[in-house]
Amino acid sequence: MNAWRRVTEIGLARRGGIASRREFLRTTGAAAAAGAMIGWSDRVGLAAETLRQQGKRCVLLWMQGGPSQFETLDPKPGSRSAGEAGSIPTAVPGIHLSENLPELAAAMGDLAVIRSLTGKEGSHPRAQYLMHHGYLPMGGANLPTLGANVAERMASEQALDAARDLPSFVRIGRNPNGGGGGMLGVDFDPLSLDDPTQPPRNAKPASSVARYQRRLRLLDRLQSDFAAAEGTDVVADHRKLVESASQMILSEDMTAFDLEQESQAMRDSYGEGKFASGCLLARRLLESGVTFVEVTLNGWDTHDDVHSRTKDLTAQFDRPAARLLADLKDRGLLDSTLVIWMGEFGRTPKINARGGRDHFPKAFSAWLAGCGVRGGQVIGETDERGAAVIDRPITPEDLFQSIYHTLGIDAEHENLTSTGRPIKLMDKGALIPELLG
Amino acid sequence: MRLSAHLVFAIATVLTAPSAWAEGPKPQAVARQVDRLIAEDLDLSPGELAPPIDDAIFLRRAHLDLVGVIPSPEEVREFLTDESPNKRRRLVNDLLQRPEYGVTQARYWRDVILSRRLEDRALAVSDSLVRDLAGWINAGEAWDAIARRFITARGTARTNGATAILVAQEGRTEEIAAEVSRVFLGVQIQCAQCHDHPWDDWKREQFHELAAFFPRVGVRPMRDERPIDLQVNIADRPDFPRFRKGANLHRRGRPEHYMRDLENPEEVGERIEPRFFLTSLEMNAGTRDKARRQALAEDLTSSDWFAIALVNRTWSELVGEGFYEPVDDLGPEREPVAPAAVARLAEAFADSGYDLRWLHRTILSTEAYARQSRPRRTPDEKPFTATVVQPLRGDQMFDALLAAIDVDEKRLRGVGAGGRQRGYGIVTPRLLFTQAFGFDPSEPRATVQATIPQALARMNTPQLNQAVRALPTTMLDRTMRRNGRDTEATVRELYLRTLSREPSDAELATVNEYTEDAIWRGAAMEDLLWALINSAEFSHRR
Repeated sequence: MNAWRRVTEIGLARRGGIASRREFLRTTGAAAAAGAMIGWSDRVGLAAETLRQQGKRCVLLWMQGGPSQFETLDPKPGSRSAGEAGSIPTAVPGIHLSENLPELAAAMGDLAVIRSLTGKEGSHPRAQYLMHHGYLPMGGANLPTLGANVAERMASEQALDAARDLPSFVRIGRNPNGGGGGMLGVDFDPLSLDDPTQPPRNAKPASSVARYQRRLRLLDRLQSDFAAAEGTDVVADHRKLVESASQMILSEDMTAFDLEQESQAMRDSYGEGKFASGCLLARRLLESGVTFVEVTLNGWDTHDDVHSRTKDLTAQFDRPAARLLADLKDRGLLDSTLVIWMGEFGRTPKINARGGRDHFPKAFSAWLAGCGVRGGQVIGETDERGAAVIDRPITPEDLFQSIYHTLGIDAEHENLTSTGRPIKLMDKGALIPELLG
Repeated sequence: MRLSAHLVFAIATVLTAPSAWAEGPKPQAVARQVDRLIAEDLDLSPGELAPPIDDAIFLRRAHLDLVGVIPSPEEVREFLTDESPNKRRRLVNDLLQRPEYGVTQARYWRDVILSRRLEDRALAVSDSLVRDLAGWINAGEAWDAIARRFITARGTARTNGATAILVAQEGRTEEIAAEVSRVFLGVQIQCAQCHDHPWDDWKREQFHELAAFFPRVGVRPMRDERPIDLQVNIADRPDFPRFRKGANLHRRGRPEHYMRDLENPEEVGERIEPRFFLTSLEMNAGTRDKARRQALAEDLTSSDWFAIALVNRTWSELVGEGFYEPVDDLGPEREPVAPAAVARLAEAFADSGYDLRWLHRTILSTEAYARQSRPRRTPDEKPFTATVVQPLRGDQMFDALLAAIDVDEKRLRGVGAGGRQRGYGIVTPRLLFTQAFGFDPSEPRATVQATIPQALARMNTPQLNQAVRALPTTMLDRTMRRNGRDTEATVRELYLRTLSREPSDAELATVNEYTEDAIWRGAAMEDLLWALINSAEFSHRR
């Protein structure tokens, strides 16, 4: 949020530079087939790739706008807070979820549902910032977001050099307060995709691959005058940047962004819609060595007509999320992948005059799965109206401590601000032990 | 008889406009003093110094620094062939009179203030901030008068750009105090918010005494305003019906400021009276907001640190390194490099009547400004033996690109009709571009890194690639037609147009060789133009 920079797009016209899928494939495919690489640095060795596969990964399913807990994870059948949606039993005896989530109910054995999240932030931007960084905005400290911290810690623990083709942090869908690399630098900014069915922006050379490479060689030769003395360091950095950008877009790994590599049956199994495509893409990216993928589902700010709007939204994520868990499990990846489902806050027990619910940070819900999280359980409890937490209150800071711990990251690790002030990944809160056993 | 505000402003403008720079310290004389003091302070010998820059580089630097755009090929040629000894001084004076001068400086301050915004809603003040601040700067208003506008601002985000700091910090008392101190004094006293500062003398109490000048300020979104606007709210009435807390406090303000007891954070804490840590200014509880903020604005803008902070920031932008680094972390405990030089420059700036044009004229007259660049020094090397290459800010890069491909911003889609309404304001191509390529100018420049998406955007955006092609209506097509079979003339012109200099013999040879291998000359020229706008030299200030 401190960075003036948001999503990188050049606005010389209304349409960003999205290539048609077919063309995009032809270019990358051609490049890959020709083994065409800009030849200054070696490609990442297979050994490093394998090493990366052994690391842990994380998917954040982000519910932008504040999802209602009553119509999802904390139904209150028979109370005045219930609204119109009923509840259904799940695969785990004694645990009920909203009737809006039949597929996740079937997958309950893998889920740890937290019903006692409690916070104070009721405005979207601040709460979104908090639930992405674990901190509120601080003047003078450009804090990294969760995805950036996870990507950076994983990279450092595995002692990998940054010479890999795909970025370590990808964000699918728009999310203006989600933050970026902050003080960790641009290497840990997310690569942002507006649309999971399209390749990243400007990722297609504007000319044929052969001509693109000729141009790159010309550029390299013409930089030597400036590089000779005055711009030595600047040109060296710039050459490295051009090289890694070109390496990325000409890499075979870019096919990870192409959902049509998947069978029709696989695509159908995730369901319909952008969020479903986002979940499938998340799985493909994780398999290609990306550390952290965030998939956003927008539209949860249901100040009116909460019943039908939530029904529509749950239909968009219930199956894809459940399918993502099953798919990761089938591939042996769920044990090393943490899946988080949350939004910035919950909604009021009271249904307002417009049939909607308003912001409610005092008591809300989220779920986690995978990466050693013990599924089939509910942590914490709200009162019968869902108006207050009556058991096991959990703060956003507790949640962040637990996320870092589950991923094997030391939350005490300190990053330095530009004025040399050390800031821990998480300086408050405590681990939620029930999550892990 | 009451004068209308407009008339008063017009009269004030006439009175403060620099009739001539005959009064006050002479820029040339102060520039020589500063150069001499730097050499003495740092014990510099001529052998250590980078050579002076040539006219072409001076021209490009002065254009980017003062009016935010690169010179046209015609301007380059004219300047290089001008024989008069005073041409650099005359150029600077001409640029300082262009309206783009105020706009360029205003955009810099917009980036400074809005990079630290707490919420995107604050972008509502972006356009008015640039509009108003550019107007004040172009009218010759003194920097201390401008700062006082920001500190005492009222009104709404869209009608008064001076509300920018209050709006960016959402009306939060402590954040506003911290930001006013950081932006105008370069003093980061907010670290003393929770505990006495570990390596400065600031005490926790002093921070909260500064905050006590601002508790009555709140910032609230105006109902039903589209596009969204934010109003500065003043809480001068005793708190009724209740003691405001949380979001309501930031939106509406509270008569007094309270310092939390760290042992009992749930309690309201101790009531603090306004005191300014640099002077003897003290006020009583119960003082109205207007009196509080005016008194602070007077004292703050007459302190030494106020002049030092601005001089240091400006010097750092122009020479590549500040006397103090980072540029917004000054104070009595900090050791500047060349202390006598920065003291003299700050003193003369104050004597000039805090005249921003005077400061630019002076620094652009120093030898320190007109030296060639070298890679950023290591800590054990001496400062100011050379300038440092600077990455272009978002707006500079946008204007440089448009100038290079010879396209007028007004002709871009989505600008003529004011762009599309989305989010917190009008979305224009410039805005999208500066969001993608901008950075926080207060951060140490060494930490500003270009990103892969930025590189991809420069290399592969279809619109840019259309613009570098030799198609009817493009600059390249016109240039090639004009020069006919004389490829070298086209190459020279492309260099002038993008890098504001002639190509070297080696570069001409490289391009020549490349052209001979090409299928047709047009393709080679397209590739050359593509390479030039994707070069590091293009996106930096050499």
